[in-house]
Amino acid sequence: MTSPQGPSPSSNGGPPQGPELPPDLPPDLPEPIATPRSGWLPSLVWLVPLVAALVGIALVAKSVIDRGPTITISFSTAEGLEPGKTKVKYKDVDIGSVKTIRLSRDHTRVLVSVQLTKEADDFAVEDTRFWIVRPRIGTSGVTGLGTLLSGAYIGVDAGRSHESQSDFVGLEKPPAVTGDQKGRRFSLHGASLGSIDIGSPVYYRRVQVGQVVGFALDRDGTGVSIDVFVDSPYDQYVGLDSRWWHASGVDLRLDSSGLKLNTQSLATVIIGGLAFQSPPGEAIGPEAPDDTVFRLAGNEGDAMRAPDGPPLTVVMNFNQSLRGLSVGATVDFRGIELGEVTAIGVQYDPKARNFTMPVTMNLYPDRLGRRFRESVEQGGEAAGKQLLRTLVAHGLRGQLRTGNLLTNQLYIALDLFPKAAPVAIDVGRSPLELPTVPNTLEELQVQVADIARKLDQIPFDQISKNLNGTLQSANSLFKQLDTQLAPQARDTLAAAERTFGAAQSTLQQDSPLQSDMHQALTQLTQTLQTLNALADYLERHPESLLRGKNKDPKQP
Amino acid sequence: MKGSARCPRCGALLYRPSAVQLERITALTLAALFTFLIAQAFPIVELDVNGATSQTTLIGALVALWNEGMELVAIAVFCSTILFPLIELTALLYVLVPVRAGVVPPHFNLVLRAIQFVRPWGMIEVLMLGILVTIVKMTSLAHVIPEAALFAFGALTLMLAVVVLFDPRALWDIADEIGARRCAGLPGERRGAPPAAGPGAQAR
Amino acid sequence: MKYLSAARAGMIGCHACGHVQVCDGSARGAQRAASPGHRQRCGRCAATLHRRQPDSITRTWALLIAAAILYIPANLLPVLHTTSLFGNEDDTIMSGVVYFWVSGDWPLAVIVFVASILVPMLKLSVLALLAWTTQRRSRWRPLERTQLYRIVERIGRWSMLDVFVVTLTVALVRFKSLAVITAGWGALAFACVVVLTMMAALQFDPRLIWDCADERSPHAFPREPKHD
Repeated sequence: MTSPQGPSPSSNGGPPQGPELPPDLPPDLPEPIATPRSGWLPSLVWLVPLVAALVGIALVAKSVIDRGPTITISFSTAEGLEPGKTKVKYKDVDIGSVKTIRLSRDHTRVLVSVQLTKEADDFAVEDTRFWIVRPRIGTSGVTGLGTLLSGAYIGVDAGRSHESQSDFVGLEKPPAVTGDQKGRRFSLHGASLGSIDIGSPVYYRRVQVGQVVGFALDRDGTGVSIDVFVDSPYDQYVGLDSRWWHASGVDLRLDSSGLKLNTQSLATVIIGGLAFQSPPGEAIGPEAPDDTVFRLAGNEGDAMRAPDGPPLTVVMNFNQSLRGLSVGATVDFRGIELGEVTAIGVQYDPKARNFTMPVTMNLYPDRLGRRFRESVEQGGEAAGKQLLRTLVAHGLRGQLRTGNLLTNQLYIALDLFPKAAPVAIDVGRSPLELPTVPNTLEELQVQVADIARKLDQIPFDQISKNLNGTLQSANSLFKQLDTQLAPQARDTLAAAERTFGAAQSTLQQDSPLQSDMHQALTQLTQTLQTLNALADYLERHPESLLRGKNKDPKQP
Repeated sequence: MKGSARCPRCGALLYRPSAVQLERITALTLAALFTFLIAQAFPIVELDVNGATSQTTLIGALVALWNEGMELVAIAVFCSTILFPLIELTALLYVLVPVRAGVVPPHFNLVLRAIQFVRPWGMIEVLMLGILVTIVKMTSLAHVIPEAALFAFGALTLMLAVVVLFDPRALWDIADEIGARRCAGLPGERRGAPPAAGPGAQAR
Repeated sequence: MKYLSAARAGMIGCHACGHVQVCDGSARGAQRAASPGHRQRCGRCAATLHRRQPDSITRTWALLIAAAILYIPANLLPVLHTTSLFGNEDDTIMSGVVYFWVSGDWPLAVIVFVASILVPMLKLSVLALLAWTTQRRSRWRPLERTQLYRIVERIGRWSMLDVFVVTLTVALVRFKSLAVITAGWGALAFACVVVLTMMAALQFDPRLIWDCADERSPHAFPREPKHD
């Protein structure tokens, strides 16, 4: 704003007129230089303030109309948020900005008040979720790195409800699955969580197709429910019959069937994972709808096993040491896992005055195959019991066997022993009691123990005393012989020499005595050869001591 | 008189005819006031660097300066770009509107002297140039988005350039006239051009 | 043509309202004798009347010296601190001009140079010259000196440009992780320099130039004997 040059005389120019004017000013005062100028149109100028006012009102009105709803989101920390600057973005489009940040009354939460734009007013509904997008390192990787440069912002997952809401609780982490992701959720019910966490991958044929989105302990504490989300288009592979199992970590088992090491992928070794698949040979079947509940097995084998059906509780009494038998040991029927041991106990039998070891086990007769199951189902329970009675009559017995010579673990084998002593079972009792036969190794042990006992009974010290006396008397006898018998013996020897000459002539020719001896020697050679072969065979198949030759129906 | 008058010795401007166009000045002052309010209420420019945005109003800039500890600079900028122009505009309106209607408002002298005091210190047009320089400087750093206040300041600069041409001392003469008319018992006229004693009119 | 100044005619023009009236204590206003300490007030607007601005030269010098003292830190201290990913940087006014020039923004460099370096120097030197010559009652080229004064008074305000640029820059560049700019003490010193030089220009009464010229000028009316 320029101001005219300093103080100057009155705007009237020239000598002023007024009450204080001096009358005696010199007459030839210089005149100011006047430069005429043209005038302007005055009245149109009122448009200017009018326009200014209108523009101002329009701007204010526009900013008020553009305002959407104000919502309050509570977070646990305001890290990264700046009042007036931080934006709320959905699919990278600004839908609002943070206005003020203040603490809640009890200072536990931070209340962020957000002004949404007009177009975003349908975000203020019930199930919309908000979270702060910051650089994060989680099980699914590093996210939000861009915010290092551009500053944190608030991410939104649009809700679909129609109930409006203006107070929200912000999430501390971005949700695993946003509302617009395509796929299906399923619920898995398992015995334990294992090494699963939110974000753990879900595999199908070793391809990651989804992730774990949540887990919770069951209300009665008997298991864990895990929520998974399978992305589309992979959700079509989840059928009603699909089996789910823990694919986490390293599956290492050392049991009667040996050492097994199994992993899915290195990722699952570190962060755990779940896998699903249809049982081999079966079609996927109808697709499972949202929120289907599945059983979660501990490993693939467990999952793929046909459903077991109800277990049959059976008790077997053993008369021998059960060292090496553990709870969970398998009950095997000719190589098929029929069940497992559930309890090992000891009982005193007052009548027989000795201890018996009852072993309780769960048998799953369904594992014996579909036909077996169907034939039992047809007849009902009575037919089943009759079958059992028949089998026991045929020699169905339980026997303890060594599963692993290294660790000396035992398992229970059910098998048919036709030579076993007949036993009648009472099928009415529950739990069912099955007869047992002792172990072959046990038999050998018993025999050796017998021999040892017998050896023990031999009075070795008496024998040695007698032997000593005999030797002494023999000594004196030999002295006698030397003095008395020697001349007689000389005579006898001469007579014997004559006899031998006669005998030699007898024995030389093919006398029957010789041929008899020859025969006896041949037989002896044959016997030794057979023994040799047996020793060889035993060397090559030592288990034949216990199991006998494969085709040998007799017991060794 | 429709021309302007200059001192023959040193060339200083003595009188300017636009000084008397009261109606035009009142309209422009009113418009300038509205525009001034718009310019203060809305952000001037918005910077966008890869998604990170930053914008400020003039008052916001002063608050930022104050919070940094540069209180004196904030005060200087506040006075020169907000306080003094606002005082000038409102004071002008305060005297112009009644005088147009033929009434001399109370504290006339005080208000007019305040206007004269404040006049050299209002620097809106320097602010405008400063905004332009800043925008050019920022264009190399970021994407610059002009906002409402930028245009408001531009319009304000233009309007103030006209308003400044008005010499408020002319109002004293008008006030004298109103007073004289009242004393003489005549009804006050709405629009007054000061009694132009023509050049060369001599006392007696 | 002979020129009469109001002071010589024993009259004062009110600096506020422009009303010309008789000065107390002059030959004309002898009926109202000036008593020491009496301040005449304008008959129209009641502002205190001064024939010339009181202590004009003294005050101008004081303000000029203060401005000159502050001019040194204004140019040496940084006006902007830039904290960015690339490190910290301090910018003085001169380095800002150089930066604009080097990055090809010639118009900006010229504008900032003129407004922030040339104009203050000009003001300081011109006002010092005016004060000096007026104090020495020189008669050298009064018209040019008055024109100089007018120029200096008008362009003085434009040196505030840099202060406004600093204000806006500080307010805009606040990206927490990328770059943050804060104002430095040089901005405060510079703002003070501008304000002080503006006040110095306002304090200087240019009529004093012509008073000295009038002393010996053949164009002036004979001076009245002063009674004050």
